[in-house]
Amino acid sequence: MLDALKDVVRKSSIHVCLINTGGCNGCDIEVVALLSPRYDLEQYGIYVHNNPREADVLLITGAVCEQWKENLQRIYSKAPEPKVVVAIGNCPLTGDVFNQEGSSVYAPVSDFIPVDAEIPGCPPRPAEILAAILAVGPDAIAAKGRQKP
Amino acid sequence: MPMSSVIWYLYEFARKSWAESFAIAKTNPEIVETPERFRDFPQVFPEYCIACGACTAACPAPNAIKLIRSEDNAEEEGQTYPVINNRGCIRCGFCAEVCPTDPKTITCGENHLIREDFTILPTERMFVIDDYLCIRCKKCLKACQVEGAITEEDNKIIIDQSKCIACGNCLDSCPVKGAIKGIYIAHVQEQKDIIKIIVNSLEESIEDKREDISHLSDDEVYKFDLNIDVMVDRARSILSDDDIILDIFQKVTDRLKLRIVTWDDEKCNRCQLCVNECPSGAITYNKEEDVVERDTEKCLRCSICYQTCPFGVAGYYIARFLLDPPSLDDGVIHITVKASQLPIGAD
Amino acid sequence: MILPIGPIHPGLKEPVRLKLKTQGEKVISAEIDFGYVHRGIERVMKGKTWQKGIFLSERVCGICSYIHTQTFAETFEKIAGERVPLRAQYLRSLTNELDRIQSHFIANSTYFKAIEHETLFMYMLHLREPVMDAIELLTGNRVNMGWNVVGGVRMDAEEKHLNSIYQIITNLEAEYDKYVEMFEEGPLLGLRSKDVGKMSKKDAIKGRAVGPIGRGSGLKHDVREDHHTYKDEFDWKVIWRKEGDNYARTMNRFDEISESIKIIKQVIENIPPGDVRKKIKIPAGYADWRNEAPRGEVAYMAETNGNLIQNISIRTPSIMNIDVCGKYMLQDVATVADAVATYASVDPCVACTERVIILNEKGEKTEFDGLHKVKYLQ
Repeated sequence: MLDALKDVVRKSSIHVCLINTGGCNGCDIEVVALLSPRYDLEQYGIYVHNNPREADVLLITGAVCEQWKENLQRIYSKAPEPKVVVAIGNCPLTGDVFNQEGSSVYAPVSDFIPVDAEIPGCPPRPAEILAAILAVGPDAIAAKGRQKP
Repeated sequence: MPMSSVIWYLYEFARKSWAESFAIAKTNPEIVETPERFRDFPQVFPEYCIACGACTAACPAPNAIKLIRSEDNAEEEGQTYPVINNRGCIRCGFCAEVCPTDPKTITCGENHLIREDFTILPTERMFVIDDYLCIRCKKCLKACQVEGAITEEDNKIIIDQSKCIACGNCLDSCPVKGAIKGIYIAHVQEQKDIIKIIVNSLEESIEDKREDISHLSDDEVYKFDLNIDVMVDRARSILSDDDIILDIFQKVTDRLKLRIVTWDDEKCNRCQLCVNECPSGAITYNKEEDVVERDTEKCLRCSICYQTCPFGVAGYYIARFLLDPPSLDDGVIHITVKASQLPIGAD
Repeated sequence: MILPIGPIHPGLKEPVRLKLKTQGEKVISAEIDFGYVHRGIERVMKGKTWQKGIFLSERVCGICSYIHTQTFAETFEKIAGERVPLRAQYLRSLTNELDRIQSHFIANSTYFKAIEHETLFMYMLHLREPVMDAIELLTGNRVNMGWNVVGGVRMDAEEKHLNSIYQIITNLEAEYDKYVEMFEEGPLLGLRSKDVGKMSKKDAIKGRAVGPIGRGSGLKHDVREDHHTYKDEFDWKVIWRKEGDNYARTMNRFDEISESIKIIKQVIENIPPGDVRKKIKIPAGYADWRNEAPRGEVAYMAETNGNLIQNISIRTPSIMNIDVCGKYMLQDVATVADAVATYASVDPCVACTERVIILNEKGEKTEFDGLHKVKYLQ
């Protein structure tokens, strides 16, 4: 009973933190576009706060740069349980065009922190991001919350 | 007027449509509609593929596309076709643009409709026909998948570089070794360094056998083998691409003809004929010790001293090479040294 | 005390670190740290063909991705000594202005978010969406368009595309005056913006401010004045203001949007028929080229051996603009909240600024002086 109640609460209020670990900024503005009245992310109870300490979902955009190798793990450890990591775009998945000889990226991001969902695209359309977050986010958070620590 | 606004809110909530939209959040369907030109991830039709590799060469993302080959079965051979990795694809549509098949193997938005004469392909290799060696068998014309890439003009076979997709089919079909050359146009400096390493080590290995060579008679042939492991290791430290390294090894061993000049001081009668003839000043006469000296660093191996000397002090030999089998792992260079057939004695 | 903000912070959309030296609520001076999104694009481009390089240059920055490809293409066209067909020039200007409009909308919306005016923030994003639709309609993608090639643009715009873009732009023009008026005449917004984060013209010249930031401080300079298409084909004027505060910078961007709308209308009305692409053979050589990005002047210097890029250097506007923000605008600001708003008003684009770290032979960081002196680490 309590779990079911917690599930409902967890599903209906999701706080999101956006972390750009070295991308081109394209995925970031597509997430900002999600806030616009046309997509209206907040009607689903999802708030983009950019504060890792109150985040349920960490959105990672960008291949991991030199500075982020340790800082990303620090941010991940600061987010409270249950938490879900969503990788947006190709950079966190494979390093995109940057992952070539001579660059200083350390993709994929799953080498550093566990990733729960992936959205490929360079950048993905806002509708694709929205669909993926809604399909994965609420249930994953509820399921993670039910796990015993 | 707080009261009236409260009433207004209550009234608004009482409306059914408002309450519905409040309870069931949904977004308008129009946001998922995409325009015609929208480039989604490319679609692949494996049945049209000719396995030319144009798409993989054109793709700017390193992990996006690769050619795979399905397994052979009893009826037919396996089909080769490209596979798009969505996690690496940047949806630029360039692969659809360069695909030379008709109908296209890869489609992406409307990019595959771009006119063919504008397709530009960034290639790593350039294929050229050596007119001197070409026997005009026209096998390459039949093997070529792209119309108009290889043409015949004035009884010459020519590759049109603007249409060539660098698939390499012509090279495989050519019966004459060296008539069609596939040149790697990237990493030119690295290729030069590797060629230097190979030529220098070949020369050193022959230098070690100098004693044996100087006793060769005119129609004798001296053979020995050279292991290439050390050279390959050094080449790999410069360039990581094994294909290019093997290509260089083969080209060097096929085309290189090393000339070797030996010098036998005991036969010398100090006539000093060679000193004036030498074009690079490598041969000098030392008055104090009464010897003719040859500086190997300056020597051009032009063979003039060999042809001038009446006593046979200078020996002139030619070395040729063969890499067999043509592989980097278990290949061995066979070296053949034999005396030159040039006429001797100043005329 | 020193108050650090970032790199991950509710007020910032990109990772950057602000170190504010404060006395009570008052900000005395500020320092801005970069280095969180350095990817090494220029090093990756070296040794690639331009066909691959143009897609890499697109990913220098996601917001102004279009102008990077245009400048890249025009640099290589300059090496070849050729110009693209007139229809291609028109289509390039059209996309450039659409991109400028959407970029200015997102810049202003970020500023309104920083001064906690959520209403205008939402309105700006609402106005931006139709423009994004127009871009997607024309080029096939919303952000990284893949639209330019050396020698023109990849696809022709059909009549129906141009008509619907015209429709979108006319609707936008009719609607958006209302929201500009909200900002221009709103007394509270004025209090929050006027006389905050001031930069004099002298400082702007000294700090090499470019784009709307320089023009907001009275620097009448727009690279489009020198561009052959804009100079010869369109009737437009440079927007500039004297005040040099947050209000001037934001209003400057609003006015530039209406100027861009004017240019787009001229493009669609006068677009000539013809080819949109021609084949250009690139010889070996060196060239530089500059263009007006939404944030100011972007310059490319490239050297090629005819086939591969041998050296390339990109100078983006944000590096100067963020620099003047730290040096001149964030001195003696009344409150910390104003400091964040001032930083947002500069329209910083951190992804732009970080591509290459220049070291001397001993491995220490040095200033960049001239492309030909650069040697890449192997």
